[in-house]
Amino acid sequence: MGKLGKKARKFARKKLQSVQGMKRKKNSFFKRKAPSHKNLGTTEDSELLEKPTIGQLGGIANDEVILNNFLDTSSDEDTDELVEDSSDSDGFLSEDSECPYISDKEDENIFGDKCDHSALVEQNKQLAAEIEQHKKKLERLLKKDPKFSEYLVKQKALLEKSRREENSSDEEEGLHSPVEDTIEGKNEGKPLSSSTVDVWCWMVLEQPKGPALRNLLNSFHAACQYGIKTSGVSSQKVSSREAFSKIVTFVLLEADGIFCQFLGLSSPSNKEGSLNFRNKSEWETLRPLVKCYLRSSLILLNQVTDREILIFALTRLRSSLKFFSDFPSLAGRLTKISVHLWVSGDEKLSLASFMILRDISSNLSSDWLDACLKKMYKAFLRHCKFVEPDNLKHIKFLVDSIVEVYTLDIQRSYPNVQSSVQQLANVLKQAIKTKKKEDLKKISCWQYILCTNLWVEFISCNARNHNLQQVLFMLINVIRGISHLFPGPRYVPLRLKCVQMLNRLSLSCGVFIPVACMVFDCLEQKTSGSTGTRTKSVKLSSLLKVPKHLLKSEAFQEECVLSVIEILSAHFSQWNHHVSFPDLATIPLILLKKFHDKATSESLRRPVKRLIDQVERNIEFVGKKRDEVTFSPNDQASVEAFLQLERGANTPFAQYYASISKNSHSRTMIGV
Amino acid sequence: MGRKNKNQVILPPELPPDIPEDEFEVSDEDVAFVQENPAYTGFLTNLDTKAIDKHVVRVADHEEDELEALYEQRNLKKALRKANEEVAGLQVDRVDALPIKTLDGELRYRTAKESVPESIPHEKESGKDDDNKGVTKLTKAERRQLLKKTKKEAKKQVKEEPKVSDAKGPLHSEVLATVEKELSAEELFTKKKIRLAEVGMSLLENPEANIKSLKEMLQICDDEDPNVVKLGLLSLLAVFKDIIPGYRIRLPTEKEMQMPVSKDVKKTRFYESTLLRSYKTYLLKLTDLVKRPSFQHVVIQCLCSLLEAVPHFNFRESLLASVVMNMSSMDDVVRKVCCDAIRALFVNEGKHGGEATIEAVRLIANLVKVHDCQLHPDTIEVFLSLVFDEDLGKFEHAEDKKPMPRKKKGRDKNKDSNQVVVNEHKKAKQELMAKTRQEVIADFKAVSFVLDAKERLRMQTETLSAVFETYFRVLKRSIETSSSRAENNASLSSGGSCEEHPLLAPCLNGLGKFSHLIDLDFMGDLMGCLKKLSGYKDHYDGFSLQNSLSVSERLQCCIVAFRVMRSNLDALNVDLHDFFVQLYNLLLEYRPDRDNGEILAEALKTLLWEGKQHDMQRAAAFIKRLATFSLSYGSAEAMAALITLKHLLQKNSKCRNLLENDAGGGSLSGLIVKYQADAKDPNLSGALASVLWELSLLAKHYHPSISSMAASVASMASLDATQSQIFLSTASPLQGFTDLSIERELFNFKPAGTPASLKRKRKRGRDSVLMNCNKVENMDTMVDEVEVKRKLEDHYTVLRDIAENEVLRGELNHTIASIQLYEEYKKHEKQVGTKINKKNKVRKRL
Repeated sequence: MGKLGKKARKFARKKLQSVQGMKRKKNSFFKRKAPSHKNLGTTEDSELLEKPTIGQLGGIANDEVILNNFLDTSSDEDTDELVEDSSDSDGFLSEDSECPYISDKEDENIFGDKCDHSALVEQNKQLAAEIEQHKKKLERLLKKDPKFSEYLVKQKALLEKSRREENSSDEEEGLHSPVEDTIEGKNEGKPLSSSTVDVWCWMVLEQPKGPALRNLLNSFHAACQYGIKTSGVSSQKVSSREAFSKIVTFVLLEADGIFCQFLGLSSPSNKEGSLNFRNKSEWETLRPLVKCYLRSSLILLNQVTDREILIFALTRLRSSLKFFSDFPSLAGRLTKISVHLWVSGDEKLSLASFMILRDISSNLSSDWLDACLKKMYKAFLRHCKFVEPDNLKHIKFLVDSIVEVYTLDIQRSYPNVQSSVQQLANVLKQAIKTKKKEDLKKISCWQYILCTNLWVEFISCNARNHNLQQVLFMLINVIRGISHLFPGPRYVPLRLKCVQMLNRLSLSCGVFIPVACMVFDCLEQKTSGSTGTRTKSVKLSSLLKVPKHLLKSEAFQEECVLSVIEILSAHFSQWNHHVSFPDLATIPLILLKKFHDKATSESLRRPVKRLIDQVERNIEFVGKKRDEVTFSPNDQASVEAFLQLERGANTPFAQYYASISKNSHSRTMIGV
Repeated sequence: MGRKNKNQVILPPELPPDIPEDEFEVSDEDVAFVQENPAYTGFLTNLDTKAIDKHVVRVADHEEDELEALYEQRNLKKALRKANEEVAGLQVDRVDALPIKTLDGELRYRTAKESVPESIPHEKESGKDDDNKGVTKLTKAERRQLLKKTKKEAKKQVKEEPKVSDAKGPLHSEVLATVEKELSAEELFTKKKIRLAEVGMSLLENPEANIKSLKEMLQICDDEDPNVVKLGLLSLLAVFKDIIPGYRIRLPTEKEMQMPVSKDVKKTRFYESTLLRSYKTYLLKLTDLVKRPSFQHVVIQCLCSLLEAVPHFNFRESLLASVVMNMSSMDDVVRKVCCDAIRALFVNEGKHGGEATIEAVRLIANLVKVHDCQLHPDTIEVFLSLVFDEDLGKFEHAEDKKPMPRKKKGRDKNKDSNQVVVNEHKKAKQELMAKTRQEVIADFKAVSFVLDAKERLRMQTETLSAVFETYFRVLKRSIETSSSRAENNASLSSGGSCEEHPLLAPCLNGLGKFSHLIDLDFMGDLMGCLKKLSGYKDHYDGFSLQNSLSVSERLQCCIVAFRVMRSNLDALNVDLHDFFVQLYNLLLEYRPDRDNGEILAEALKTLLWEGKQHDMQRAAAFIKRLATFSLSYGSAEAMAALITLKHLLQKNSKCRNLLENDAGGGSLSGLIVKYQADAKDPNLSGALASVLWELSLLAKHYHPSISSMAASVASMASLDATQSQIFLSTASPLQGFTDLSIERELFNFKPAGTPASLKRKRKRGRDSVLMNCNKVENMDTMVDEVEVKRKLEDHYTVLRDIAENEVLRGELNHTIASIQLYEEYKKHEKQVGTKINKKNKVRKRL
């Protein structure tokens, strides 16, 4: 709906300048229109889904100041795109006039069957009545003063002239329209009825190489453009809604198959064949048809806001993605559209558009990969400024999909990763240097943390198979820097996230990262005596900074300690079969015992006690085993081999850790 | 100036024009050049000024005796002209004229002040010129410095003025209403300013003659307008700084007064007594005003600059007292200015001969005592800039010996020269010169404030005792409060200790710095204090008693204790074991972002790395603890620990057994057979029985330098005892810590290119890594076609309706516009009609 609204507003700005009152009326009309949609059933939920994202985008625009060094693109990409679309639409194919036009009158009453849009219809009726009234008045005037008609004609000519000049200067529409007129000239006045469409479809299916395909594609083009051109002929062309939906669905469903048939590509499964279609002689004749089809579908994607239609169109387009390789500009537009839908759409739509993106970056040339990487990362940056419990899943999906696309070709994506991590490091450096409030804010925000997390995910996904040492080192330093920069209990959630990221890196890369010291201070917080502020449980996952009133609350303390237990057990479980496990656990164990002795609340003592017991048992176990061995610490090979057999087994500590992490998931721990 | 004279020799047509010499701008470069190359100025010193003067004067037909008169005349003229210039806005120095914004009294005041010092030295110099040649150059440079100084002050004043002079209208006008109705507030203010400037200028121009004007200036300071008072105070400051002589004034006794004296002496006496009296009044006024907050900044500024400029002069005591009082002011500016002044006093002892230092230190000690150590740390920090001459004791003996060889040398030289030139006359002359030189040196000593060594030693001892008295007071006080607090409330956060003992940190710093000067008698006491402070007493209670000092402070106590011991060459046989125990336990309490890691590294360095010989048990315990420590803490701390560990291993070859996994730990394990990780005492931990397994995990450390360090430590096992010396590393723990600190790491990021080995280590299928495959396959079926069709239809209808709406709207606008056009048309018609009518009328008339 948003886009239609935009179009209409644009129109209003252009044509209704003189009448201000009308504009105001119109605004109210659009306001009124929104509620009228509520009874539309399925559209409702898509709209509801759309709304928060739009709101968020608005928020982002305000927040652009933060981290603007991340984003070097302007945010008005979308509008550029629209302009481009509207000017670049003379894509009709020349038709054979042999095809039959069945001109039976479809007695479809325009106003009859639209109970859904009563408001709009009502408005239209009202307008018509008004026009009638005014016309009468004008006529009267004309009758009264015959000289006036002369004057009127003269003024009109003047106005027309000036308007045309205006138009040609800023939109070049004047250049386009005559061309369109000549091309479409022959079919003008021949509205498409649904039976015509049926016949065409039949013809195309029977005889794919026949002329009907052209006509059909033309009408598809017209259908896709329906509503964009306000005064153009295209709006007249598709006359009924059945025809419209038939054309669109038929073409989207069948076009790819027909083209493949044309080119002799047996099925979409063999990729080698589908890639060298360009060499075939048939391609020359088919190329304009394919181009028309692809472009029209892109216009459709831009036009439609409904989720189902979008998903349908995207999935269909995905199968004919191979053709895009011959039309780079169209491919670029497709990437833009799908990145937008990927980042802002709901689950299914995101997935569908992500599949497109993935195929573009893997099947088209590697330049597209680069473009996709950059665009997706930027879109992610723009999108991930806020984290609420309900968009965690979506952000997770975004992260996963970025990682997946970056993983496609590490060789090419590595420089991108490196420069992004470098950017993060630079922001951090600046903050450490100046310690200014605004610089610190750039770091203690979700955008920064999520970006860091993104690269953590990327590295942990690929570290086993690739040598990513450099980036890994840089990233570890960035994470340590973050936690160094924000001491104090207020930033405990932020630091816990850092530790979790370090744990993840350590686990996936097999390197040792000492994290114990980063959580010790959580154990030493002093609980204030005021137990009266027993608020609802604090969710550290969706926080970076603890609000002041919660700082002393018991719930927060508890959450802290539980998180510490989880982190420590994750850390220990990674090394629970290492020969130096007893030493690794020494200091944390001493501190945990100290905490256990001091703690008063039973709800804290119990889990801590459990951890202590488990760790002690494992210490005993490893200690016994290592007393039996004869090698020395500098014998790395033997150290590696130590307890190799038990590593896979389900030891008590592994079981303990599994239960801990299960608990934490049920508490909806950090979603990132 | 010298150059000008030279020019005159070449071209002596007439008397030098009446321009005062100072208007010839000798650029700074020139001065610097001359100063750097004294050889070039030789011709200037050798210049026979007398002859030149004679020459020049002769042209103008003046007698030599009249020279002075001439100068006076010139001065008179100049003064006159200056007065004129003042009115005209003074064009003396364009460069300085630039920053002036307003054209009121300030301008004159300032430029006048600038010109003041020009005249005085000029006079003096002209007198001097004849008898001491060659000194002129020097005085010139000095004079310029003086000039600059005054200028600076003047500028400061100017800066101060606009700040002050705004928005004080109402109060002023009240006064005016009663006194002078015809004058507006500003006019009066300006008038006062001008008067102040005039008086001040005259004072600077000729202090002897105008000494009485001091009284007037002091009166101005009693003005009701605070701005005027401030200006008056500042002007007086400038005046006093300039006219106070380089010696202490002793007022004549009654007896002396009665003795008949010459006129000159009387004049001088009068001058000195007036000066002293006014100075006293001025100081009294300052000390009065310092209590009023609105004047505080100005007054403190005056006091401090006076203390810095004339610490030798009378009434230093009261000056010092008020400055020290304000050293712990809440106001940051005041405190800083005062502390800087005291620091300057300590550093430039030559100005006052060290007496002021003692006084200041005593006053500070008293202040600390009175305030019970609750002062700002800056107060104690100034002690750090005290300079103590360590060789003072030896100096005494050296003094007797030194002159001898020098004399001999001189004689030898004489002999040599005598051998070459056997000239009796010259020899006599040289001896005479040597004699005079010695006399001059003696005179210089008497005049300057260089005291003999004994006196200095005495003063130094006194200063030191006062300083240490303060330090001990702070230490004792910290002990008292910490223990009492520990009893009262153990649960209070230990982070708040900074506010509890504000003076402890600078006190420990100072003790560390002056540790070599501590008297041996104090030593035992001091050690006891430090031991208590580092928390020794409560570590047996199993941490139940929380020491209220922070970890950093306790570490610092250990460091200081070791410093003290070491700098006294371990003369005292104090058992430092307790401090080791402290360190051993503090390692566990250290928290990276709360405590200062550099202090930890420093402690490791002082206690372990620099230590000579360690008990084997203890060394082993520390080695084990440090290894464990580096497993839990960040890379910087780990690096410091590992460096220390390596060093310990190198020194204690037997501890290298820890690197080997001998069954049972061998015979070395001693009493305790099994390693006790949580023992409080390193000697009881039984670390010798353990194995440094930590190193195997540290070898997997993400940080390459740590992993390589761990590997190198692990490989030390194979070394013989004899080989160890070769590998003694040079990097200290502190160095290691700073190298690996986060700040450093982040700033050392190198944007390196793509690593060579990015290739996949293992082939993997192209299937999706993260996505659920089922989901992807379901994509095609997840859209219902019928639904899509319905949606498309809806979409179409909406679009069509909107299109319809647009068309209708267009039409509506069109019609409305047409109707509106009718109105215009009518107007148009009318106009045409009237025109026609007019035409018709004209025609009719015709």
